[in-house]
Amino acid sequence: MTQAMREPVKLVLYVAGETPKSLAAIRNLEKICSEHLAGKYKVEVVDLKKQPQLAREHGIVAIPTLVKELPVPIRKIIGDLSDTQKVLVHLSVEE
Amino acid sequence: MTVVSLVSALTRDELEARLYEAEETLRAIRDGEIDALVVKGAASEQVFTLEGGESYRAFMEAMETGAAAFDAEGQLLYANQSLYKLLDSDAGSLTGPSVLNLLDALNQTIFRRLLTEALQGRQSAEIHFRAGGVERSLLLTGAPIHFGLVGGVAVTFTDISERDQAAVAKESERLARAILASANEAVIVCDRTGMVSHVNAAAERICASVPVGKRFDEAIELTFADASELMSGGDIVAMAAGGTPVQGLEAAVKTSAADVTDVLISAAPLVVSGERTQGCVVTLINLSQRKAAERRQTLLMGELDHRVKNTLAMVLAISARTASNERTIGDFQKSFAGRIQALAATHSLLSSASWENLQIKDILGAELAPYMSLSSGRIVMDGLEVPVDSKTAVSLGLVFHELTTNAVKYGALSTRNGKLTVCLDGLADDGSLIIEWREGGGPLVTPPTRNGFGQTLISRSLGSTSGGTTLDFRPEGVLCRISIPRYGHFHTA
Repeated sequence: MTQAMREPVKLVLYVAGETPKSLAAIRNLEKICSEHLAGKYKVEVVDLKKQPQLAREHGIVAIPTLVKELPVPIRKIIGDLSDTQKVLVHLSVEE
Repeated sequence: MTVVSLVSALTRDELEARLYEAEETLRAIRDGEIDALVVKGAASEQVFTLEGGESYRAFMEAMETGAAAFDAEGQLLYANQSLYKLLDSDAGSLTGPSVLNLLDALNQTIFRRLLTEALQGRQSAEIHFRAGGVERSLLLTGAPIHFGLVGGVAVTFTDISERDQAAVAKESERLARAILASANEAVIVCDRTGMVSHVNAAAERICASVPVGKRFDEAIELTFADASELMSGGDIVAMAAGGTPVQGLEAAVKTSAADVTDVLISAAPLVVSGERTQGCVVTLINLSQRKAAERRQTLLMGELDHRVKNTLAMVLAISARTASNERTIGDFQKSFAGRIQALAATHSLLSSASWENLQIKDILGAELAPYMSLSSGRIVMDGLEVPVDSKTAVSLGLVFHELTTNAVKYGALSTRNGKLTVCLDGLADDGSLIIEWREGGGPLVTPPTRNGFGQTLISRSLGSTSGGTTLDFRPEGVLCRISIPRYGHFHTA
């Protein structure tokens, strides 16, 4: 499945400090990336507690939210990423 | 921009995406998957968390015991500084897995079970691990906690290592005391200053009353036979407490316990931990029985030496005197052998009675044994159950031998009808014991024309101040009165 992707997945995870769900989302994303994306990803974690203005770029309302910037189209996955299958579908890596 | 113009400006795909995003946001809120919201303020965005603020962290940080918050999946959300310190970890380095990695498989299971069960209600468990090279024991108490919309577990970590170590130390001391108390040997423990700190039951018996707290010299009175002037118990304790063991010194002990008179004393430095001696351990083995046996042995050896010399002198004298009185070699051999046999018989009796408490009856019985069976009823012994000392026994043995030989050759035992009575005739005025040898019914007795050695021996044996024998050759039979001096020669019961 990863062979189908021609360019690295670029992800931005928006969190709010160390709230339980922010920490859970970080943990879940690390797990998914290591198990399914095999190094072909780039993750940026944005702490909106420290830089709330960065929420504007992707119109973030709920935290945590994961944004798939690349490959297009841009996708948002809202929540703590505990449903691995759903995350993979949205990241289009199951195709 | 109006709604219509906004909508028309977006593609259908973009609209669908926005709708999906809105639905997803609601779903995530409903499912409890988010715990913070971004609110657009007048100037800039603000983030509001839904976890009920940060108050629990501030509270945990103020705690002196280690505390941590875990989410429902057992992941570490927060740990306070006390816990980092307790686990010897760098601040901020702990995660759920790293906490688990400190533990072995068994303690990991205990820890996981606590986290699971504490979601439902308060739970406690003990875990053990090594941190910073030290064995640690922690008491964990977990309780459910709610972070706004989310449930989790708050756990406190209380260090009970010291409590456990104290329990181990207490058990160890109890064991040491039991060993001390169970030892057969007397054990006295002194501190570095030579003061008695512990004694066991065996030591208490030979120590002064309440020995603990006294100087060793005061607690037990020892005398060293070989170097009484040069050494004291205190010196031994000082040597041992200084690190030099002392082994196997014999000493006499003055104590109220009658069965302890001599001890074998050893002292060793007491090293509790590290290199430094904390005092010394003195052991005292009761040598009293062995020393008493040694003394008795020495006494017996001296006595034996003395007796062998006496006996040889006596044999020489008997030989010389027998030779001068007997006419032929044959006569000499017979007389000499008889006298030596009499000596030997008495010695046999003496050695079988350990040279003590031989009775007159036994000595006479040995001499008359060859004739007792032949002449049942002819020989009467009466009142001779009197113990005598060994010297008197030898003399009596020779006297009885000469009298018996004479009776067999010429007197009552030379015929079938003769009778012999040997009895106690009472005490003389000076306290000496009188034994009477009376023969009768034998051939007519005529006094011998000359004094043979036998007669001399009879007269002279026991011939000290109040002892001696009188020999009367009455026609109807020999009458001999043997007088045994009072002191040292016989013992009345």
